[in-house]
Amino acid sequence: MSGQKDEAAEGPRFVDPELVALQGGRLQLKGGCCKSCGALSFPKGQVCTQCLSLEIDDKILSGEGELYSYSRVHMAPKGWDVPYTVGYVDLAEGIRIFAHIDESASPVQIGGRVWLGEGRVGTAPDGAILKSYLFATVAGGRT
Amino acid sequence: MSTVHVLGTGAIPFRKYPEKTLAEIGWPALREAMLEAGVRADDINAVYCGTALGGMLAGQRVAKALGISGMAIVNVENACSSSSSALAQAWMAVKSGACDIVAVIGVEKLTKFGGGTLPLEREDWEVNQGMVMPALYAMRAKRYMHEFGLTEAQLAQVSVKAHDHGALNPNAQIQKRVTLEEVMASRMVAEPFTLWHCCPTGDGAAALIIGSEKAARKFGKGRVRIAASEVTSGKYTNGYRDMTFPELTVRGAHEAYEMAGIGASDIDVAEIHDAFTIAELMYYEAFGLCERGGAYDLLASGATSLGGRVPVNPSGGLLSRGHPVGATGAVQAVEIVRQLEGRAGKHQVEGAKVGLTHATGGGIAGFDHGACSIHVFTL
Ligand SMILES: [Zn+2]
Repeated sequence: MSGQKDEAAEGPRFVDPELVALQGGRLQLKGGCCKSCGALSFPKGQVCTQCLSLEIDDKILSGEGELYSYSRVHMAPKGWDVPYTVGYVDLAEGIRIFAHIDESASPVQIGGRVWLGEGRVGTAPDGAILKSYLFATVAGGRT
Repeated sequence: MSTVHVLGTGAIPFRKYPEKTLAEIGWPALREAMLEAGVRADDINAVYCGTALGGMLAGQRVAKALGISGMAIVNVENACSSSSSALAQAWMAVKSGACDIVAVIGVEKLTKFGGGTLPLEREDWEVNQGMVMPALYAMRAKRYMHEFGLTEAQLAQVSVKAHDHGALNPNAQIQKRVTLEEVMASRMVAEPFTLWHCCPTGDGAAALIIGSEKAARKFGKGRVRIAASEVTSGKYTNGYRDMTFPELTVRGAHEAYEMAGIGASDIDVAEIHDAFTIAELMYYEAFGLCERGGAYDLLASGATSLGGRVPVNPSGGLLSRGHPVGATGAVQAVEIVRQLEGRAGKHQVEGAKVGLTHATGGGIAGFDHGACSIHVFTL
């Protein structure tokens, strides 16, 4: 998750490391919770949209949700491993997450339960493997 | 406050013009609108130019080719609603009495990006995670199919209708009928969309000269009036949202109907934002042309085809006429004005007196859409 170029080219790189955190050795989604009013945000806001407070704590979001909708994408800009599936996952705390969906274990269905994992989603221009958080019908995800 | 009238319209055939500059794409449309209106450069009090990806000072670049300069020239970027938002600004300028005659331009050159899906804003976290516009609409389609039992073959019929209409429009980018089988067998883009479910990318321009009641009298033009002009933005949320019912269009439609003093049943012809097949069906419902879940039945009844009760997208819509992003709102307005004036040619809707335009879009995380602009035109 380092921003240094030479280091990054060597190993897999996270698409947007700010969106995730490691907790107990497991990848989690990292949102924000307003210290003043408790409003949740994802991605973690720099300012609260409810009360304009600048004090936002990290908030680890639940790693399980319901698939609201999805699509298998066959044509996409360079860099993504096509075809890939994306979807919107509704978390119990009221947040909707856009995510890659891993269908390698089994195909997903609208309304089905999905669990957070991580895995490969594409290749960077310098050849580094791009990874991201994703959701799947089983916990863990692909590597 | 003055009523607002359309004095002249112009549009070029929507095509791919890789060899032309943005100004060369734009000025012929504006010239045609000026000639129709009978106005000269120094009659124009202000220019509003809509372009999403045309770069700085697009309006000045187009206008100067026709000797139009010195007045306020304002460039408006609002994604797919850019030139409809420009029209809304122009409408307000005339309505308020600040201006008598205003030029509106919509112009876009997408061929400068090569082919494929358009570049989206890299600051957007969903785009960074692999969001593309077809996927956004495809998720709407999947959810709609899940909730209302719409099938892929039913969805594909939207494309067949669009191209039936576009085949009659010499300004359309695609003037070719397609069969249901062709739609369903073409290359997959984002499930359930094949290529024929998606609007093509290309270049285009359209323009209008609008003016006050006084200007309409002076130039002997302006039978068509703009009875409502509406711009909305989506409501931001990072929570749940009903993707089968576009709330900003629903809101905008209510406001536009109220402003024009009409209801959905008064609409004779509409140009709505069918960027992908599902959009046309969802917007039937958002505009109240049918009840929730009733869009396919309305399509299948023939009501929204030429010859039907309320033809939708007689020009072929975005799917067939094309969708050079920032030019779309203006060309929809040109189409509806010409429909009401009875000079739409082979795709004329007979006897149309009330028409509607609707351009919405902008994929941005947390919004149904970034922007939406709706206009109601009356004879
Ligand atoms: Zn707050």
